[in-house]
Amino acid sequence: MEVNGQLVLTVLMGLFLIAVAAWLARVENWRSYTPLAGAGAVGSTEQYVSEEKPSGVIRWLTTVDHKDIGILYGAYGLIAFVVGGLMVVVMRLELADPASTLISNTFYNSLLTSHGITMLFLFGTPIIAAFSNYFIPLLIGADDMAFPRINAIAFWLLPPAALLIWAGFFPIPDVIPAQTAWTMYTPLSAGVGSGNQMNAGVDLMLLGLHLSGVSATMGAINFIATIFTERNEKVSWANLDIFSWTILTQSGLILFAFPLLGSAILMLLLDRNFDTMFFAVEGGAILWQHLFWFFGHPEVYILVLPPMGLVSLILPRFAGRRLFGFKFVVYSTLAIGVLSFGVWAHHMFATGMDPRLRASFMAVSMAIAIPSAVKTFNWITTMWNGKIRLTTPMLFCIGFVSNFIIGGVTGVFLASIPVDLVLHDTYYVVGHFHYIVMGAIAFAGFAGLYYWFPIYTGRMYQTTLGKWHFWLSMVGTNLTFFVMVLLGYGGMPRRYATYLPEFATLHQIATVGALILFVAQVIFVWNFVQSWLEGPKVEDGDPWDLADDDLVTSEWHWFDRKLQTAIADGGEEEAELATDGGERIDDSQSTSDVSSDGGDPVAETDATSDE
Amino acid sequence: MDEAPGLSDQYRTASPWPVFVALGIPISEIGLLFDLFPLAVGGLLLFTGSIAGLLRESGYVESTMRSLVVLSAILFAFGGALVFTDVNLVTRGYAVIVAGALLLVGGVVFELFVFEQRQSI
Repeated sequence: MEVNGQLVLTVLMGLFLIAVAAWLARVENWRSYTPLAGAGAVGSTEQYVSEEKPSGVIRWLTTVDHKDIGILYGAYGLIAFVVGGLMVVVMRLELADPASTLISNTFYNSLLTSHGITMLFLFGTPIIAAFSNYFIPLLIGADDMAFPRINAIAFWLLPPAALLIWAGFFPIPDVIPAQTAWTMYTPLSAGVGSGNQMNAGVDLMLLGLHLSGVSATMGAINFIATIFTERNEKVSWANLDIFSWTILTQSGLILFAFPLLGSAILMLLLDRNFDTMFFAVEGGAILWQHLFWFFGHPEVYILVLPPMGLVSLILPRFAGRRLFGFKFVVYSTLAIGVLSFGVWAHHMFATGMDPRLRASFMAVSMAIAIPSAVKTFNWITTMWNGKIRLTTPMLFCIGFVSNFIIGGVTGVFLASIPVDLVLHDTYYVVGHFHYIVMGAIAFAGFAGLYYWFPIYTGRMYQTTLGKWHFWLSMVGTNLTFFVMVLLGYGGMPRRYATYLPEFATLHQIATVGALILFVAQVIFVWNFVQSWLEGPKVEDGDPWDLADDDLVTSEWHWFDRKLQTAIADGGEEEAELATDGGERIDDSQSTSDVSSDGGDPVAETDATSDE
Repeated sequence: MDEAPGLSDQYRTASPWPVFVALGIPISEIGLLFDLFPLAVGGLLLFTGSIAGLLRESGYVESTMRSLVVLSAILFAFGGALVFTDVNLVTRGYAVIVAGALLLVGGVVFELFVFEQRQSI
């Protein structure tokens, strides 16, 4: 039996490798990287890489173009958002009633774990990477990312990571989903005791998390290199845009935080599988908490700084003014970046740590409110007396500021040791951080998705549906998460599938709020997909009329140039419109048109081979 | 989508290797963690082979053979550490060593039978 299993696996692996080699041999001309020899064969399969992108699925599998990778990141992030969202809908339905009626307690725990990890690592980080991949090179005038292939590797690590993290839910024999919560506290996650967390499902989840960390680190190195070295000569540090600043800071945080998470996860895997004793001995549990939160709190700022950058970029465009106190917004970003590494133990006030240490962490945690408030006041002041246009992206920006204030102020209370000792591990904490992750981070993501929709789709979304999406999201968010703050004051502990009947009303209100959020996201998905396919084409390079207030940024100039050249050279979609009275051009012709438009293909391949 | 004006004109916009680098890592990780010999060997081959392809494609190395040999040396060292030191993960170590050996053989075969057009600079 054992031998047979190994044999089958060997054969399958061998076949897979042969298939890979065969496919590579087909798309990649192994023998020659100097296509000069085939100068007469423009458009043949051997030359697929030089002047144009291959077509169909192959294009998406092989692309190293930052814009394509940005779109891949975005699609990936939104799919993960759907998965994580549906998970929490099931959980909220279960919580509509105090007893465990809809799903088992263990399944609730599994969903809780996966919802957290999915939203933070598979939605949050990738959706930010979607914006940064697509727009940072455009904003700073770079040709592409500094390391385009590393960029592609970083993306392609994510799908296997998601499959591993969700592996427990797939019908694989003897594998169950992890129930460790996203914090993976030991000894539970080390598989100690009589629980079922020694299961391979937890190992797979840890491997997936490790992969997503590797991916984030590769991306961060790439962004640091890109922003430092690939800027256009006109872009100096003094006029670097605010979004690039936040991505640069975020990348710095990733560089210090994620490798630590990776190491801690490897240590945990060694504990689970190779009988090491990192976290099993006396003090091991507290060691895990220190290591995890030294990563975990910077992770909060890794997730929130770029959305703050998006809001700082988008909000002034619809306020008709430049960002108030630009320099101070940049300084506060850097300050948050530095301070974020000095606050981690505020997650551990209740562990019985040394009170003197605790006080210092309280002080730094309170201090981080200052740069955050600087930003908030700058956004408000930017809008003050401005010429406000309540477009959908602007609404999401204002919603961001509003929710960020509630999420931030509840956070200041939690930073205070005496308050924290009362509210620790209650729904108050859940309400607080969801105001930030859903109310702020996701809102900023939506703002970006709507604001740049014309650029990456070439079309316009349906504005009425966009507003429905905003208002339902705003109401749903505040209903769900404010009720959680109240539940926390009432003493409702977090992470449970069941609760005392006295909490029923508030829990039901939260469930209604979650369902409103669900409806809002259905509208969003419909609007997004339908408008992408059928929305009216954008023909103006400045669809938001930013030029009126002299607020155009370079990605819109790029878009404008793209629109104009697309019409001039009859690029693919408008092919039949642009030919003057001729017949419809079929696909193959129009593709070769595009390739020959770029000038002399031979000269270009020459340049490539010289590198 | 049409090509961006002034962007990426002189760069390759596609490469087949990143997907396989990214697939090789989890396959070999699973193979090594759960002691599944074929997955470990196959995953490592996929990973290191794709790295070699990537290095060659981007022009960081002149010959595929040399990068394959260096990568197999790294695998030999890692596998040796697993087998012959106190770590004592013998089967996993042999998986890494076998992967290194196959890679070496692959490198030699590639050198002997596949004609690479060297760049004439």
